[in-house]
Amino acid sequence: MYLYTLLAALLAIVLIFVAPLRAKVWVATSLISAAAVGAIYLVVRTLLLGDVLLATFSTDMFGAERLSVDPVSALFLAIISITSVATVLYSKGYVEGYLKRFSPTHISLHYTALVLLVVSMMLVVVSSGGFSFLFSWELMTIASFILILFEADRHEVRRAALNYLVMMHIGFMFLVAGFVMLHGVTGSANFEAIECYFKVAKPLPLFIIFFIGFGMKAGLFPMHIWLPEAHPAAPSHVSAIMSGVMIKTGIYGVLRLLQAIDHNTELLYAIGLIVLLAGIVTGLWGVILAAMQNDIKRLMAYSSIENIGVILIGLGVAAVGHAAGSNLIGMCGMCGALLHVVNHSLFKSMLFFSAGNIYSRMHTTSMSQMGGLAKHMPVTAILMLFATVAICALPPLNGFVSELLIYIGMFNGVSDGHEVLYAIGGIIALSLIGGIVVLAFSKLYGVVFLGSPRSTHVAESTEVDNQRIAAMAIPAMLILVIGLLPQLAIRPIALVAEAVTGGDSAFAVAAFTPTLTALSYVGIILILVIALLYVAKRRAQLKRKIESGPTWGCGFTAPNIRMQYTGESFSEGLENIGRPLLKNMVDGRSVDKGEIFPKQHNYEVQHKDKVDSLLGMWWVRLMHRINMYVMRLRTGRVNNYVTFALLFLAVVLIFTLVGIL
Amino acid sequence: MLIKLLNTLLMIVVALSITGVINRTRAILAGRKGIRFFQHIYNARLMLSKGAVYSPTTTVLFRIAPCVYLGAAIVAFLFIPIADLEPILSFHGDIILVAYLLALSRIAIVLAALDTGSSFEGMGAAREALYGALVEPALMMALATLALFCGYSSFADIFATAQETDTNLTIVMLLLAYVFLIIMIIESGRVPVDDPRTHLELTMIHEVMCLDYSGIDLAMINIAGWLKNAIWAVIAANAVSVVVCFHWEFATPLAILGTGITIGCIESLRARNKLSRNITYILTIVAMSALVLLTGFLLYQNIDI
Repeated sequence: MYLYTLLAALLAIVLIFVAPLRAKVWVATSLISAAAVGAIYLVVRTLLLGDVLLATFSTDMFGAERLSVDPVSALFLAIISITSVATVLYSKGYVEGYLKRFSPTHISLHYTALVLLVVSMMLVVVSSGGFSFLFSWELMTIASFILILFEADRHEVRRAALNYLVMMHIGFMFLVAGFVMLHGVTGSANFEAIECYFKVAKPLPLFIIFFIGFGMKAGLFPMHIWLPEAHPAAPSHVSAIMSGVMIKTGIYGVLRLLQAIDHNTELLYAIGLIVLLAGIVTGLWGVILAAMQNDIKRLMAYSSIENIGVILIGLGVAAVGHAAGSNLIGMCGMCGALLHVVNHSLFKSMLFFSAGNIYSRMHTTSMSQMGGLAKHMPVTAILMLFATVAICALPPLNGFVSELLIYIGMFNGVSDGHEVLYAIGGIIALSLIGGIVVLAFSKLYGVVFLGSPRSTHVAESTEVDNQRIAAMAIPAMLILVIGLLPQLAIRPIALVAEAVTGGDSAFAVAAFTPTLTALSYVGIILILVIALLYVAKRRAQLKRKIESGPTWGCGFTAPNIRMQYTGESFSEGLENIGRPLLKNMVDGRSVDKGEIFPKQHNYEVQHKDKVDSLLGMWWVRLMHRINMYVMRLRTGRVNNYVTFALLFLAVVLIFTLVGIL
Repeated sequence: MLIKLLNTLLMIVVALSITGVINRTRAILAGRKGIRFFQHIYNARLMLSKGAVYSPTTTVLFRIAPCVYLGAAIVAFLFIPIADLEPILSFHGDIILVAYLLALSRIAIVLAALDTGSSFEGMGAAREALYGALVEPALMMALATLALFCGYSSFADIFATAQETDTNLTIVMLLLAYVFLIIMIIESGRVPVDDPRTHLELTMIHEVMCLDYSGIDLAMINIAGWLKNAIWAVIAANAVSVVVCFHWEFATPLAILGTGITIGCIESLRARNKLSRNITYILTIVAMSALVLLTGFLLYQNIDI
């Protein structure tokens, strides 16, 4: 399998490298589209006819493994295909601006990595575990590392990419440890063996090791700190695919773990609580930090963390619900979480595409430079508004459908008396997340697209090319379909949910259909009412006097643009509450209250995550000290090195004689 | 069908009269003659027949926002039953939909306020977004308490399964009515959180966001405000009438007079909070709501055992 993968990868590399500069994107597009079409075929076949076996082979390290598609893989294959096609379509316009700045090799490397990322993500979700899983997982990490490094001439990009690489390998170590433990006990390192492991050995240690390993990729608190660094550094279409689908492979891993708990109620309950708690903390932390950010892509990165939290809350509700013996609650939580995986991949990629449009015109992602962009980039503004409403989980779009299902699960828990306190905890967290996300995204949209321009660049920006708009329209269409026809979307989702934790998909579909059908009608009614009101208003205004006058300045006649409300001031109230989570980097001095005639001040504040400072604490300095000592061994003299090698051999010899090795 | 129409009709009556009752109460308490009972409706009619002034800073979003604001409120309005009557729309889970429809109307008006580019409207928008976010858990917990006692998650079912009166239910429902009343005060921006009659834009919340609206748009925003008031007033009145007398003939006047007179008295008798105290005030309601839920949970466990 590795040989074939490497050969295919080599072929892709050769094709992309030999293609002329402007055709490279088309080679990448056709390769990714071919993979996507194949994947979609597998998805349809799996969901209609059942599991598909692709290949079986044996590995030296972990024994027999295979590639196969089951409903869980199918769901992830579907979102990978959709997002990656949109991404590669989008990338043409985005990369075009860099064709002169970078060498053709650089561009080729970028597209090769993009193709590899897509292929490796597909391999991740079809491998049965063990070596092939780790192989594709690592390939995914390296491909995304190269993608983040696109603008490698910027210092912060190199820093973020390195940070990402280190964090991912810490996570990778946990996964390796997990698979080795699994193989040691059961003799097989496939995901199916976990079920056996849970029966014969203590399950929680293995679960926690895997959970940390997968959580690192997903951006689970407190391992989320790579996300807000990597996304502002990466090109926007890379952020879109990373945030939209790559971090979901972490969720995929958690799903495989949940799948392995077979009717072991006690374990399911314990794991459900862990996942629910992790979801609540991750979601709240992510959303509060998101609302503080003044950089478009950092805000979106934190919002991804928040959405991972929401998904985990759903999974936790599902596990606790099944453990409590309620099929309905379990299905509500699981369907909600799975649908949210799909939904988030759609609106988050759209949001990052919008950020890319803005960046390619404004050459910055700092919100304090923007304002009033809607007049210059109207189509981007409309599409971004659409994604904003969707991510705020507002009806009638798709984000609401998935959160509604999770809510219904928790409300059922309350009303049936199943684990009421946990359900209440989930309800409080989810409603607070829902409220603050509205604040965060109204800030983002309002400061970037509305109001008066805060810099002269705004006036020079123009709408982006049609291909990028078309790429954004793909997720937009699906958002609308899931939002307005949720009763259709629930059928495949329920099938996948059944494959994860059991339960009855037909029952779930029957239970949800009345609600979702009603929701679909309400969505249509809502749109009709709004349209009717607008048309009526326009008709009434036709014959009346419509004037244009300056914004009311409350009696002040010389307002200027610098007096406009900024993103920082918009979230100031929340900052007062959320201060314990933050570490503010202040540059300069703010105007003091006692200063009656303030002089000129320079004041810049950055809201850093408090967890960030974990990387600057004593153990990092300790490592640094240790490294200093170790570096003394590097003398540069060959005779010393030969001594070291000899010493090493002697140690191995002694160990072997004693019988440790 | 007739019941549903009656319900909607009564809801409209509630929506139209609460503001009148508040104004009358305030006038009587201040010893003034006061304005006509339906003055606010005449004002709205006047605004509906006027033209409009739009700032050149604004985009099309500014003109659509009032329609979204009103549209979402109308749809939410259709889900609310008065005591034993049935609402036009109802499904399992609609209590969550209503909360999120109100959030939709909130984001519409917040974005519209930011669209004007005015610093004053930005202030109002920031406050509205923050208070809305903080009050959401209180609302959800209050709804969860209802779900705990009545076992359903749609407004129509919750109030239709009124149980026979017992002390526990009475305590919880009266507390819930209080929580809903305070939520109404926060959401509609009345004293002590916000003062609609204040003269200083710097301290306004809701009113400052509609500074640039005129004519039909302003009328739409006002009408949406009435509808939202009616939603909260009727839910609070339903909670009371569940334990006193579960009948629309009792609940409708209670919704109008109860909330109207209470809010009128509060506005006449106490000053508004300092703005920095508002967050504490809202968090107190969240805590209160959590307490009600916990009390309810304990009492509910007792009933079962």
